[in-house]
Amino acid sequence: MGAQTAEDTTGSTVNTVLGPVSAQQLGVVAVHEALLSVVPGAEYGFDVTIDRAEIFQTLAEKLKDFRRHGGGTIVDSTGMFHGRDVRLYEALSRTTGVHIVASAGQGPEEMLGGYFLTPQTNPPTPWPAEKFADLFAKEVTEGMVVPRVERRGAAGLVATAATLGGMTPTDESLFRGAARAALTTGVPVSIRYGSDAVRDLEVLLDEKLPADRVVVGGLDRKDAVAAGAPLQVATRGAYVGLDHAGTEDDAHITDAERAALVAGLVEAGHGNRILLSSNATGVAKGHPANDLPYSYVLTTFVPLLKAQGLSDEDVQRILVDNPRDLLSVR
Amino acid sequence: MSRVNTVLGPIPTEELGLVAVHEHIGYGMPGSELDTRWWRSPEQRYEETVPKLRQFHEYGGGTFVDATGICNGRDADYYKSLSAKTGVHIVASTGFVGGDTALPFFARASVEYLAEHFIHEITVGIGNTGSRAGIIKVGVSRGGRMTDLDKRIYRAAARAALTTGVPILTHLAIDAENAITIFNAEGLPLDRVLFGHVDDGVNADKTRDTWIAEQGGRVGFDTFGYETELPDPPFWARPRKERLDHFLRFIGQGHLGKVLASADANCSPLGWPGVEGHTVNYIFEDLIPDLRAAGLDEAAIKTIFVENPADFLTIQH
Repeated sequence: MGAQTAEDTTGSTVNTVLGPVSAQQLGVVAVHEALLSVVPGAEYGFDVTIDRAEIFQTLAEKLKDFRRHGGGTIVDSTGMFHGRDVRLYEALSRTTGVHIVASAGQGPEEMLGGYFLTPQTNPPTPWPAEKFADLFAKEVTEGMVVPRVERRGAAGLVATAATLGGMTPTDESLFRGAARAALTTGVPVSIRYGSDAVRDLEVLLDEKLPADRVVVGGLDRKDAVAAGAPLQVATRGAYVGLDHAGTEDDAHITDAERAALVAGLVEAGHGNRILLSSNATGVAKGHPANDLPYSYVLTTFVPLLKAQGLSDEDVQRILVDNPRDLLSVR
Repeated sequence: MSRVNTVLGPIPTEELGLVAVHEHIGYGMPGSELDTRWWRSPEQRYEETVPKLRQFHEYGGGTFVDATGICNGRDADYYKSLSAKTGVHIVASTGFVGGDTALPFFARASVEYLAEHFIHEITVGIGNTGSRAGIIKVGVSRGGRMTDLDKRIYRAAARAALTTGVPILTHLAIDAENAITIFNAEGLPLDRVLFGHVDDGVNADKTRDTWIAEQGGRVGFDTFGYETELPDPPFWARPRKERLDHFLRFIGQGHLGKVLASADANCSPLGWPGVEGHTVNYIFEDLIPDLRAAGLDEAAIKTIFVENPADFLTIQH
């Protein structure tokens, strides 16, 4: 299976907010984080303050901390309708030297605007996959939208999510649209699964998207681990996103369990399919922040992996090589 | 002191003049701003919009009530510039066109938060624009029955209307029993509510306009001009004569004091194609001539377009 063969990414590039960057220059990648995270609509809330200078300062400090601890690239996986601010991210990247990869996509259904769910047609049929595919692909080929103003840069991935209770028909349209956009543009897809990680992944595979163009996020949720989803996802050749490092709550396994899970996957020969991140929110508006430093994986979680017996090469593969292969535009 | 909030500040009721009570500078469903097919440059926006407002002013129009809710492209700073340059008073809305146009932040919010938000926009201002909302928009989501979210918005609107004295304008008057139950429970007099779109082509048959008036509500025939005779009519269009007859019949039943009329046109639509040729000026160019031809006298026309909206819009204390 090709899934077990490292891709040759020597000449590949990755779409960052400052333009294409050689995949070899990404360094350590935090593959599922949030810079500015705004619940859709919160920007209008009477008690929500959006102070761009303050937001910039907070994010810049967090990015510098990440860089100080050896970080190279942050992937903002919030999609195109959850506070993404391309101009701010350009300035942050220029200022801090951290590569920033921003995402197209949106989801789950609950997070969509009415334009996609109850359009002004009779009947108000929700958007089909093909229209989402076009919306997402143009974010790569023509640039990311700054609403009603301009397009800037190119999205480096398409991020979407399914409803926690289970994938809805509109979620499925989002997934199929994301897969088609990935196929036409060469960027990868990052998903958060709903209630069944493998089933949700298979929606993308059904669109003929190669599994190694997909990261399935949230596989350090307790329900995923109980179902054996991390191993099944890796076996299918997709990337296993263990992207809540530092989160220990009712829904997620502990860091100790997370480290053991990584070790088990490496032992099973899937070291080239693991991705780690902390799902930190740099600045959150309209929802509680996950106030971890972007450097959490580097400073706190990697020592746990070493204690599990992982080698420096294993760690390098997980933090550098795997995200590089995923993010390289094909 | 009688006053109405406009985007440029409070004005005396006496200055409202002829009111177009349910209009849009530009409406777009939330999320449509991500779809570049609808984008226009600011130059194009002004070019499409200013002549319509200037024409409205020259015809004798005084006040344009913008019924575009939060998340639908409402843009108070833009409205301020339009108002200042054309001389048309513009009243902006707080609230939502319907639950299905409220984004997740508001869809998840409590009645208490929604009421507080509406009150803030009415008494302090919309965002940091300094413009205070003069009306509260609420509405029924697609599907014809009020959703739980629609009901929360109606309840919050009722509380904000009672607290601030500004009135409520509804998108659709179907399922009015549920709406009136909420307003009654909150103790809001129904003459502070304009039940809009009783005349639209999809729902007119299902809308209990007479019953609403009998309960004390105001009744909006406010989609005038969306006619099946248009070259490319929208799905909510209706034969011109049928709508006019409906309106005249309703007035003939003794409800002149309850009616308001408007065109629900977009000066420059934000997230849909709009309807070519349909503008707020339908009121002057088509509707008022039709009413005169049908035998309505000038006093009745003044009641519909000046006196009823003045009573309705004046902030109650």
